[in-house]
Amino acid sequence: MLSPGKTVSSRLLRPALWLPFRLCPARTAVSFMQKELIKKRELEKDELRPLYMDFQATTPMDPRVLDAMLPYQVNYYGNPHSRTHAYGWESETAMETARKQVASLIGADPREIIFTSGATESNNMAIKGVARFYQAKKRHVITTQTEHKCVLDSCRILEAEGFTVTYLPVQKNGLLDLKLLEASIRPETSLVSVMTINNEIGVKQPIKEIGQICRSKGVFFHTDAAQAVGKIPISVSEWKGLSYVPLVGQRSTDPKAWVLCMCNADLDFFGSPAAEPGGGQERGLRSGTVPPPAGCWGWELHGAMIIRECPCWTNRLWPKKIMDEIPDVVMNFGDPKKRKTLMRVCLYGFSACTSASLEPSYVLRAIGADEDLAHSSIRKGIDLKSIKGTQH
Amino acid sequence: MAARVLQQCVRSLARPSLGLCPVNLALRAAVAPAVTVHRPFSFAADSRRTRWLGQSRISSVEVWCRQYGDLPPLTLETIKDRVMYVLKLYDKINPEKIQATSHFMKDLGLDSLDQVEIIMAMEDEFGFEIPDAEAEKLMTPEEIVQYIADKKDVYE
Amino acid sequence: MAASTRPQVISLYRMMLKESSKFPSYNYRTYALRRVRDAFRANRKVEDPKVVEKLLVEGGQMLALIQRQVSIGKMYEAQRMVVE
Repeated sequence: MLSPGKTVSSRLLRPALWLPFRLCPARTAVSFMQKELIKKRELEKDELRPLYMDFQATTPMDPRVLDAMLPYQVNYYGNPHSRTHAYGWESETAMETARKQVASLIGADPREIIFTSGATESNNMAIKGVARFYQAKKRHVITTQTEHKCVLDSCRILEAEGFTVTYLPVQKNGLLDLKLLEASIRPETSLVSVMTINNEIGVKQPIKEIGQICRSKGVFFHTDAAQAVGKIPISVSEWKGLSYVPLVGQRSTDPKAWVLCMCNADLDFFGSPAAEPGGGQERGLRSGTVPPPAGCWGWELHGAMIIRECPCWTNRLWPKKIMDEIPDVVMNFGDPKKRKTLMRVCLYGFSACTSASLEPSYVLRAIGADEDLAHSSIRKGIDLKSIKGTQH
Repeated sequence: MAARVLQQCVRSLARPSLGLCPVNLALRAAVAPAVTVHRPFSFAADSRRTRWLGQSRISSVEVWCRQYGDLPPLTLETIKDRVMYVLKLYDKINPEKIQATSHFMKDLGLDSLDQVEIIMAMEDEFGFEIPDAEAEKLMTPEEIVQYIADKKDVYE
Repeated sequence: MAASTRPQVISLYRMMLKESSKFPSYNYRTYALRRVRDAFRANRKVEDPKVVEKLLVEGGQMLALIQRQVSIGKMYEAQRMVVE
């Protein structure tokens, strides 16, 4: 950690460590400590590349996806929103095909698909949008303690605006207690937000059941399915009561940072506070040109592809070997029956999104892991391209 | 003028290298086993690539001088060994069951796709292409050995 | 499989495997090889000539795709991975 400083500046900074964490100027303290701990080093010319196991953060793009996108980077460069010329039309056609593909991937209607820039934007849009739209009558939002930072932060903002937010604890296995959820829904609750698959510990929440509860109580339900797409089959028509599902392609062999958000057709936010002001693209919900090559065509092919590929690789991995062969490895959550789904997604928690902070993962603490374990946890993510051909 | 200068340069460069020739050969002999390690990717396990390190310890430099390739001379025996080695590494073949005369499909239960992969592994191993029309006739290790021997002009 | 398309399929299989093994990136290479093998194995029992024809066309497109991607991969080659 920090060695006793000789220079004036480090001596000045040292007392900060004695302060309770909350009182520190968090960002500066973190970046300072980060510099001390992690030495950035680029690979040398002949050095072998390390194995990549951070597939929850992002994945290598599939060559097929790149191949589908390239023509639009080279020749078909029209703005899909240009309605007056052939360049615009060809881009628009491709964008709409992509929309249809994605919709069929998750069992939604094409009109419900909204392209956004990322899961963070989608989550922000859904949570703040719904809550603010109904704020006249309903001022309560429910979420869990293990949500992604962007959900938690959106809720903080809502709290600052005078909403009440309930952060539900999770059980030791990382799952949400349905009875607790049901009991927490009040008449003034407008939204429940529970993520499908946790980005740090890979727990798959009982989305279907949560959806039923929300539906019966007449509450909107938002799920962050960023880590789920391409790994488990998602069907919004089956998971009744879902209102919003952000999906992320970059977690499953797609171009980075281009996402879509599924928004239930009978919700129309036009002109609502959820809407990004601007040219009114994407049903007025998310203004700004949809960058065609960056995402849509990737998605187009991708949609069809992962439907086909999913079964091809889900039965391939299972890091049971790791558990058997390396001593002293503990699984951070332990429901042997759920293993298959869980493990496909991740092994040990520590996410890229919060890796700028040295604080042990809040998700791991929420499931009751002690400080040491939370500090020594690693998350291992694998994907169809990182695994050897043999079946484990 | 320029041409003459160039010519002189070439000559002066060529002379010392001529003098070095025997050393070169000896050097090549020493390096040759290592060269095999860098051969292109093949289907069978990686360990296969390194096995020549063990076999090719030939002390006399003259033997090496007679060759133009980086591998020891092919004989029917070495071809056979290498073919069987590749086959045994193929994951769908039981190394204990395989014999020179066993038929890939009838005796070893492989299909036509497996046979394609076997032939491709052979192409990798021996470094030449086998045309489709002839590849599909090769159904036993024996036939493969015979085919390779014919192509490489090995008759002993 | 109809007798007439059989050599076509076999030759497509060969060509796809050969092209796939040219990917400079370890991940893509092993994945492509595995995927080609899996795909051919999965459709091994297909008898309907129309379906075979369709699959052959698809395979041909995939082959072209692999060729394009291999050349792109070669343009931006990086260091090898520790597992190679």
